Amino acid sequence: MTENKSNEIKIKTVNLSFYYNRLHVLKDISVEFPERSISAIVGPSGQGKSTFLMIFNRLWETIPDARMEGEAFIRLKNKWVNIYDRSISLPELRRSAGMVFQTPNPLPMSIFKNISFPLKLSGVIEKQAVDEKVEFALKQAFLWEEVKDRLSDDARSLSGGQQQRLCIARALTLDPEILLLDEPTSFLDAGSGQIIEDLLLSLKESCTILLISHYMDQIRRIADRVMELSGDTSNNS
Amino acid sequence: MKRECFAETGFLGAAVLSASLTALILIFMLFLGFPLFRGGCFFTLLTTPWNPDKGLFGIYPMLAGTLSIVFLSLCWAFPLSLGASALISVIAPTGFAKFCKKTVQMLTGIPTVIYGFVGVFLLVPFIREMFASGSGMSILSASLMLSMVISPTMILIFTDTFESIPASYSAAADALGASPVQKLLYVILPYSRQGIFAGLILSVGRAMGDTLIALMLAGNAVAVPGSILDSARTLTAHIALVIAADFDSIEFKTIFAAGLVLYVFTTSLILLVRIIGGMGMKNR
Ligand SMILES: Nc1ncnc2c1ncn2[C@@H]1O[C@H](COP(=O)(O)OP(=O)(O)OP(=O)(O)O)[C@@H](O)[C@H]1O
Ligand SMILES: [Mg+2]
Repeated sequence: MTENKSNEIKIKTVNLSFYYNRLHVLKDISVEFPERSISAIVGPSGQGKSTFLMIFNRLWETIPDARMEGEAFIRLKNKWVNIYDRSISLPELRRSAGMVFQTPNPLPMSIFKNISFPLKLSGVIEKQAVDEKVEFALKQAFLWEEVKDRLSDDARSLSGGQQQRLCIARALTLDPEILLLDEPTSFLDAGSGQIIEDLLLSLKESCTILLISHYMDQIRRIADRVMELSGDTSNNS
Repeated sequence: MKRECFAETGFLGAAVLSASLTALILIFMLFLGFPLFRGGCFFTLLTTPWNPDKGLFGIYPMLAGTLSIVFLSLCWAFPLSLGASALISVIAPTGFAKFCKKTVQMLTGIPTVIYGFVGVFLLVPFIREMFASGSGMSILSASLMLSMVISPTMILIFTDTFESIPASYSAAADALGASPVQKLLYVILPYSRQGIFAGLILSVGRAMGDTLIALMLAGNAVAVPGSILDSARTLTAHIALVIAADFDSIEFKTIFAAGLVLYVFTTSLILLVRIIGGMGMKNR
């Protein structure tokens, strides 16, 4: 697959560097990601792939002694936004840029409540709308058939792969413009992995996807472009 | 090897000693209070008023005094502590939160008698002026000051509970765009139910066991209080006052009844905390 050159840029970073205390993980990164595409981020373990994704929803900010230099922008509703602008609403940013973590992290509540949680946060309370959204999101993540009869069970009773799809469904409920996926198929067998890959290809129509993956064949199948984080992470002391 | 053995025996000895002390205290009180049980008047004591002139030595007024002061102090301290710990562990920016926590930790170290002092010289006159009633030594004054005494510990317990929430829950809520208050309401509080309850019960035990505040601020009148502006005497204050006065009278016997009631109350509270703690382990 080749990159569709006509797509506009959706996400970009300018001279981005990142430090955990003295550990310099991301070094002067300036990249651009086109919209409606899947961009794979690859590199050896510990190179800062997960860290890189957290730049775009500012999730690293609660980590003590973490520090960022440079700038990061995303285009939301066709307007460029500096992610680190003081005036930006953090909840709003995070609803526009959904994230799925490396290890599935269902909240300690029922399956239904997990999926409807983002709706509750953004003030959608009309029961029918919520029900429809939950069903739609679960169907999108190919989980509906497996859980439709046990929506009130604790989400933590699901298998690892089901939890992973639950987290994907949960990230999809708010129709994010950007999806940040940290090895979303690492807990899945080949069959479910295939399902998720199909899902990502269909989501590409509406979303810009950043995908961390260790599987080269997966990247070859679905990614439009590849960004490699590699090399000399050093200890600047 | 030898050192390990030595330490092991030492720890075992310390554990046995403290456990047997607890049991010994109970036996001691049962022994000294035995005349009360033999006469079958232990339970009558709990329900009758105190009127030495008529030969009535019931501790019912003190029981009522203790319960009302403890209950009221929790009414002040619980919301305050919950709010303060929410501020410290969720809402306030890191620097300010650290400062608040340090302050609270410092407060736990202030001797109770200092709080009593402050109460006598600041709170009591204020209550007296404000409500224009009596001396100002009342259930209200004592419970307000007592809530100051128990709050710091309660805040630290709640803060610990809030901060023990698994990082994955916290990250999930954050990444879905929960504001700090939403995260508190929908994720942290439900998760912390048991910790909050345990902290609450431990505070009840502390409030009940506190002697000085009630002694200095509640007025120590031996009558069943009718309103929160009335003066009252707690079980602990009663024990302190009687012990200071005489050594061999029927009055003196009643302090064993008072002691036993306190002992039973606090022990059952601790047991309750244990049971809740056990349930918490299973649920997570
Ligand atoms: N909270 C943290 N505090 C300090 N150092 C951290 C923290 N999180 C990550 N690091 C360090 O930063 C570096 C990059 O971590 P990151 O998780 O981004 O790597 P990764 O590329 O996602 O690795 P993996 O492929 O194993 O998931 C690692 O060396 C890690 O030890
Ligand atoms: Mg990672």
